[in-house]
Amino acid sequence: MKQTAAYFLAQLKRAARLLPGQILADIAVCSCVGVFACLLIAQGALAAEGTRYRIGMVGDLSDSYLGFGIAAVQEMDDSRFMIELVPMSEQEAEAALRRGELYAVMRVPEGLMESIVYGENDKLVTYTAAQGQQGLGTMVMGEITDIASTLVTCSQSAIYAMQRVLADQGRGDEIGWETDKLNLALIQMVLDRGGFGEVEVLGYGDGLSLELYYFCGMIFLFLLLSGLLNSALFVHRNSAFSCFLKARGVGAFWQILGEYLAYLLLVLAGLLVLCLPLGFGLGRGYLGIPEWEGMGAAPFLAFVPVLFPVAAMFAALQFFLFEAADGIVNGILLQLICGIGMGYLSGYFYPSAFFPEKMRMLGELLPSGAAARFAQAGALGKISAAAWTAVFVWLSVFIVLTALVRWRRIR
Amino acid sequence: MKIEVAGIKKAYSRKKVLTDISFSMDAGSCAAILGSNGSGKSTLLSILAGVRKADSGAFYVYGCPSREQGKNCPEPMQGTDLLREPGQIPKVLGYVPQGDPLMEELSAWDNLRMWYDRKTLERELSGGALKMLGIDSFLKMPVRRMSGGMKKRLSIGCAVVSHPGILVLDEPSAALDPVCKENIRSYLNVYRKEGGIVLVATHDAQDLELCDMCYILRDGTLHRWQYGGDFHKLAEELCEKNF
Repeated sequence: MKQTAAYFLAQLKRAARLLPGQILADIAVCSCVGVFACLLIAQGALAAEGTRYRIGMVGDLSDSYLGFGIAAVQEMDDSRFMIELVPMSEQEAEAALRRGELYAVMRVPEGLMESIVYGENDKLVTYTAAQGQQGLGTMVMGEITDIASTLVTCSQSAIYAMQRVLADQGRGDEIGWETDKLNLALIQMVLDRGGFGEVEVLGYGDGLSLELYYFCGMIFLFLLLSGLLNSALFVHRNSAFSCFLKARGVGAFWQILGEYLAYLLLVLAGLLVLCLPLGFGLGRGYLGIPEWEGMGAAPFLAFVPVLFPVAAMFAALQFFLFEAADGIVNGILLQLICGIGMGYLSGYFYPSAFFPEKMRMLGELLPSGAAARFAQAGALGKISAAAWTAVFVWLSVFIVLTALVRWRRIR
Repeated sequence: MKIEVAGIKKAYSRKKVLTDISFSMDAGSCAAILGSNGSGKSTLLSILAGVRKADSGAFYVYGCPSREQGKNCPEPMQGTDLLREPGQIPKVLGYVPQGDPLMEELSAWDNLRMWYDRKTLERELSGGALKMLGIDSFLKMPVRRMSGGMKKRLSIGCAVVSHPGILVLDEPSAALDPVCKENIRSYLNVYRKEGGIVLVATHDAQDLELCDMCYILRDGTLHRWQYGGDFHKLAEELCEKNF
């Protein structure tokens, strides 16, 4: 035990010698990433402010009802701030779509309105998106088309029913006037659809705003990839030293524990380096997190200790990868591949809510997923026992696996 | 002190590396183990040092575990099998592996402090084994700036912390300059004269001169060899006998 303690102290000394260099490297990386992130956010905000989706309308637009509908959407509806409907020819639309000037093209087939008026509904409006992938925009447009179709067919039923009632009552001369009134009432309802209900956004990662979700994701990614910055501790690793320690009575598990604690010190130092500018930015209001709005840096300072268990688990993972890899270069490559892969699957780059079910489940099972759940719950101040257990289990698994690899190496 | 190694066997998966290793040594003796690369020299030494486990066999120690003799010897051993009691090994045996078991970022002092308490370290540096090894001259130097010879001397310094009765060295002279080899040889001579047992795996003629016994490790067993002091002759003999 005395030797183990002496070994741990020596490892601490070693980590302390490397610490100034590591902190400089952390500052350099954090500065670069920070500047990059600020530029991206600023660019994104500007783009978001000025974005209006241009949709080309082609085909038979001659019908007065359709013309009125397009005019209503462009002049009266709330969607006019987001969507611009541009009537154009088929050729113009195709060229504009190729040039990226249009988000999508909507084709109205000839005789669409007659088909609707006579209840035939055999004509299809086709919507062609510029993007090849099934993105959020196309999904939303699909939903809108679905809703519009339902509205039109239901309106038709209402109009036909009304016309039948008026005809039965011998009021045939009022049919035209009453139909127009009913149509206007329906259009009014569509325009006033905001009053139908209230949209409540559940958020990401168990109720986080998108800002806090990505804020956490950025910190996790830094922690996950901090093994690249801290690789200096593994450069001079040699098995002779491990053998010597074993001969002096310090077994594989105690060797790993001593080395791991020193490594954790470097990881935590890196985390604190990252947290300083973040705390400053939040305190000054440069970073807007809705959950912490107007509260300065206090909630973030309370959040930092929540990150320590996560940092400890990621440090154990990185330690295991370095021990398992044959050589420092392989270790660094392994860190990079595992870090990016796990980060992606667990939704650090893109909310995992959009992933297929199985992929999302896998992402949650991974250590990166356990870390995300733990810290996201911590950000809202409600860490469950299951989240604690997951982090602790992964941490223990990595320490034990690393000790096994060391044991195999020197046995 | 006396040691007796009896019937040590070791196999990696199906490959038998050591089939039957038996030998004995008395206090103040030195044995060299020769053998081609991969013959199992390092495996044998690491088993004796408690790093690897033998499949079977015994490593008996009789007498005082350290070089302290007579009344200074705390608990003499009466045929303790170190392979069955590996916890005793650090008290009895100092092991210097092939590479240098040192922390590159730290100084010689910091590396030694891992094993020595401050008082003992200062005493050893002023007139003990560490002084003899010349470590006091590069005490503050970081290991990464040291020459191969300095590192090897420091490694030996770390290994002899408990004044062990047995010193096991795995190729201690590999790639060292003659002055450094001589320095290490002088220390090992003193170590022997104080009653220590030296076991060294080597390919070096100068290491052989230090030893009074020579073993060749081949096909997993040790063969005693008479070394007359002529390394070239020994090499020729080994070639003739297909070793």
